[in-house]
Amino acid sequence: MKKGWLVSLAVLALSMMCLTGCGSKEKLKIYLPGEYMSDELVPNFEKQYNCKVDVELFDSNEMMYTKVMAGDSYDVLIPSDYMIERLIKEDYLQKIDVSKLSNFGSVTDALKVAPYNGFDPDNSYSVPYFWGSVGIVYNQNNVPTSEVEAKGFEIMKDTKYSGKIYMYDSERDSFMIAFKSLGYSMNTNEESEIMAAYDWLVELNTTMAPTTVTDEVIDGMAQGRKDLAIVYSGDAAYILSENEDMRYYTPECGTNVWVDAMVIPKNAKNVDLAYKFIDYVISYDAAMGNTEAVGYASVNKDVLAEVTKEGGLYDGNEAYIPRTGFAKDEVFTDNEFLRKKLSELWIKVKASN
Amino acid sequence: MKQFRKMVYPYLLWSTVVIAVPMLLILLYAFTSGGNSVSKFMFSLHNFKRFLTDKTFLEVLYRSLRIAVETTVVCVLLGYPAAYIIAKYSEKVKMRWVLIITLPTWINMLVRTYAWTGILQEDGVINSFLGLFGIEPVTFMYTDFAVILGMVYNFLPFMIIQIYTSLTKMDYSLIEAASDLGANPRKCFTKVTLPLSMPGVISGITLVFLPSVSSFCIPRMLGGGSYVMVGTIIESQFLTAGDWNFGSAISLIMAIIIMISMYITKKVDKGEKLEAINA
Repeated sequence: MKKGWLVSLAVLALSMMCLTGCGSKEKLKIYLPGEYMSDELVPNFEKQYNCKVDVELFDSNEMMYTKVMAGDSYDVLIPSDYMIERLIKEDYLQKIDVSKLSNFGSVTDALKVAPYNGFDPDNSYSVPYFWGSVGIVYNQNNVPTSEVEAKGFEIMKDTKYSGKIYMYDSERDSFMIAFKSLGYSMNTNEESEIMAAYDWLVELNTTMAPTTVTDEVIDGMAQGRKDLAIVYSGDAAYILSENEDMRYYTPECGTNVWVDAMVIPKNAKNVDLAYKFIDYVISYDAAMGNTEAVGYASVNKDVLAEVTKEGGLYDGNEAYIPRTGFAKDEVFTDNEFLRKKLSELWIKVKASN
Repeated sequence: MKQFRKMVYPYLLWSTVVIAVPMLLILLYAFTSGGNSVSKFMFSLHNFKRFLTDKTFLEVLYRSLRIAVETTVVCVLLGYPAAYIIAKYSEKVKMRWVLIITLPTWINMLVRTYAWTGILQEDGVINSFLGLFGIEPVTFMYTDFAVILGMVYNFLPFMIIQIYTSLTKMDYSLIEAASDLGANPRKCFTKVTLPLSMPGVISGITLVFLPSVSSFCIPRMLGGGSYVMVGTIIESQFLTAGDWNFGSAISLIMAIIIMISMYITKKVDKGEKLEAINA
């Protein structure tokens, strides 16, 4: 009797495995940052192409890099510009033939020129997913707009607002505001400029009592817990739509503008389906749903026009569309020396209170 | 017994794969430089020098040890009375209390810690309650207090259960004998119960000190991103800096510090036992 049970259990387990494992559906494995895709996008794609999509999420580009370099295979990755540059350099990506993408023509022209296209000039390896900038979100009731505009990132060091600021816990973004504030390039290799930026941040950390967080900043600013914060444009767009006291500003000294894009690794298992997925993501309907849900600027020009027109979802939302054609704005480039240096210095900045 | 000896082999294999090999890799990385690929390894003590000669890193190390010691002390002070009281109850009530104490550990640690952020936030549960009486919001979040609270909350069950176990294993007739011989309750406790429960306290200390000294997610969530502990540095070396060699060296330094502190705890324990016997 006991044995009979065991056998039937085993049969059941095997048939379950068959249901999930050896079904006839094609499979696609994608790897992207958390909270970065509309919940409907994947199910709709699965329905349309009768396939199964496995979604895995990462916290940071570096975490993704560690994992894919350990040999894990994915069909589509969505990293940031500087990381794509690194993956191209290390010969990890396949070339993408954009002529196979029926919707590629609708990708906005702003992304095909400097500074946005620097990491992959002709889209030979990547297709844009979202794009944005980094700026200051401030509470206009407590911080005058004229003051923010006059001071730029320096306002983060104004002791009037001590204890009322959020810093973003990322060495790249924090050093970026220091470099820009001091008038340097954020892709510098100069030891003296790096140390000046380090001193700038240490001074900020010791005098301003900043709260250094990552995604908590979104909720914190939407609730109005602090007056000033360094925020990504898409998160800012959400904050602005939740709390009308909040405003967004990208300083005159320039800022970081960025593109996250879809790439296909060399060890992808289902390249055809990966193309279909990429083409689907930049199509009007999918891109519209995605930008409505996530808040970052769409790469589809028709979607951009639709949501920013009068009465559109992001009409009047100054954080939604990143600044274009501003010479002082830069995209990060992959730079191993700077990356290691900043990572070590950032720990020291944070420990300096 | 001999016929069972073969059954050890799977365990040996298991412990080699999951304990020995990773430890050896950490050793290898710690004493080398030149990136993560095996072909480029070069012996060097540079990673250790870099950590031990840098004032900031040493301050972080000191802070981690201080927070861990404070957490452990609070856990002993709270855990011992709790375990003592539980051990006095009848069998049925005891089991119920043990269940209640271990219940929170069934839920993921991250979720439980995240719940504390909702409680301690400036517009959280405690401050809303204080606000009813017109008290200004108190800053709990991103302070030492929040971090130690989170650690004590997460690790206290380990302390209570360890002490409780050693208290229940104790032979009660020893206390009866002591009272027969004229010891008052206080003397009974300090001369009999406390020394006999010391093994539980020691293993409780081990179980609380180890995770709190290397924790990085509790300080991150309750102390904020600028609350740097040794665990945070190690994590950043592996995940953002990509400097596995330096990360391994720091891990090794931590391991050595922990081993030394465990050795001292054991010594103190033995010394106390000897004293008790001599007295």
